[in-house]
Amino acid sequence: MSKLTLQYEGIALKEYAVGAGITIGRLPDNAVMIDNPAVSGHHARVFHEGNRVILEDLRSTNGTFVNGRPVTRHVLQHGDEVLVGKHQIVFDQNAVAPQPVADGPMQGLGDTVYLDTKQHRALRATLESTRADAAKPVNARAAVPSAALPRRIGVLRVIAGSADQQEYSLDGQTSIIGRSSTALVRLRGWFKPSVAVAIAKHGPGYVATAMGGKPLINQDPLEGRHALQEGDMLTVSGLVLEFAWKEGVRAESAA
Amino acid sequence: MRLRVGARTDTGRVRPQNEDAFMSRAEQGLFVVCDGMGGAPAGEVASEMAIQAVARELKDRAESGDRLESSPFLPHTQRLVDAVRQSNEFIYGEAQKDPRQAGMGTTIVGAWIREQIAGVAHVGDSRAYLWHRDRLEPLTRDHSLMEAHIEAGLADEGRSLPVEQQNVLVRVLGREPAVDVDVTEVPVKSGDYVLLCSDGLTRMVAESELANAIRTYQDPQQICDHLIATANKNGGADNITVVVVEVTGRWWDRLLNGVGGHLKRTLSRGAMRSSTLNDPRPH
Repeated sequence: MSKLTLQYEGIALKEYAVGAGITIGRLPDNAVMIDNPAVSGHHARVFHEGNRVILEDLRSTNGTFVNGRPVTRHVLQHGDEVLVGKHQIVFDQNAVAPQPVADGPMQGLGDTVYLDTKQHRALRATLESTRADAAKPVNARAAVPSAALPRRIGVLRVIAGSADQQEYSLDGQTSIIGRSSTALVRLRGWFKPSVAVAIAKHGPGYVATAMGGKPLINQDPLEGRHALQEGDMLTVSGLVLEFAWKEGVRAESAA
Repeated sequence: MRLRVGARTDTGRVRPQNEDAFMSRAEQGLFVVCDGMGGAPAGEVASEMAIQAVARELKDRAESGDRLESSPFLPHTQRLVDAVRQSNEFIYGEAQKDPRQAGMGTTIVGAWIREQIAGVAHVGDSRAYLWHRDRLEPLTRDHSLMEAHIEAGLADEGRSLPVEQQNVLVRVLGREPAVDVDVTEVPVKSGDYVLLCSDGLTRMVAESELANAIRTYQDPQQICDHLIATANKNGGADNITVVVVEVTGRWWDRLLNGVGGHLKRTLSRGAMRSSTLNDPRPH
């Protein structure tokens, strides 16, 4: 049986069985009701087709995203993260359906062919126009995610302990707190871990991972991957850092 | 942090020769897989050239300099990307010189693991995966027509694409003077695995099987051997290359994890669920 887990900011709210098929939307007649203005009345649906589970966007205003990319129709894989408005829906396929694998050599596996940039562009244009016919104007949809993202950047503010700066901007793809010379926040001292915490950009946000030492997040041990939220307190080797958002500092960070 | 590595390439059961190539430098943390194209002998030449070019560029252990102002990536990741760009220029240049090699190209996927951060760069349909907490996460997205169709919402896993279009790549090394390289960075911890492979594996073996192989065998070389055997059992229609890197702690870390790790994981499972991203599967 497959199920969907509705989450908000990483916190599981409710679980739903897919069953014969369910709809997701803002109105109360949806099985998965999300009362948020960013969600369309009937936003998307999830249903079985053969032994696959399909997610279909119901021409929603703000679009449906799977693992960060917009979809109109998508075969759900175990662990897929569907984004509807600001809510996440995680797909969990308990029964792992065996993948059909041919006994003999597979059909149609000829030589790999390369399409040069010009051919590719032409083909993409056809693809996009097909999609536009099938759904709604592509540009309007494509514009949503980037336009909806505020131009903001995460920063770490030093609350306690000694550091060479008061505030660190999380500009890079990966920012390191540790003794390493590549670290954004340098820890001094022989016994400090080379990499204590790695903070990676993840979609519109940041994810912190403990790599060495015993870093704390809001006084608890930092375990697994933690999606940073405004006000989170990171404690690393005596240094206390607060995560915060800063509005519109650098244009390139919103790109 | 220590790395244990397994690597193997195989011609498969259909192709006359092996146009894949790989490089595995455990002490440097550098791993590359290339899948050449363009027919004999050029495909073989292109993948080998790409490996050589990257090896040449990244000969030394990266001095861990400061992050470059202009790059959002860590220095070693940026150097890997630059090396991939340079190998593109090199192959393209060689192809222009020699008519027998005109039209040669190759995919590339490279991972450079330094200080527990893996920088991953790729062009084409050779892939990288991360095995983290009993889950296989793709680190790359193929530069193929099939992927473009899926992105456009037109195809379900490309099955609706005509057979002759299923092998079409939209980005490779060596075919144009400049190439876009996809880059990502991911922290790796003790217990994680990084898997690099050519499409000869992923077309023959489902992702769930890759996950099963890691879970079952654990030893990097045994994982490679098993996956290549499985690909061949399923048809072996293309050359198959697999590089598996296991990230392990130092011996005292492993000892501690062996003793207390399981209990600790069990106890903290409930607390972790709410704060764990990308990791919805119950452990």
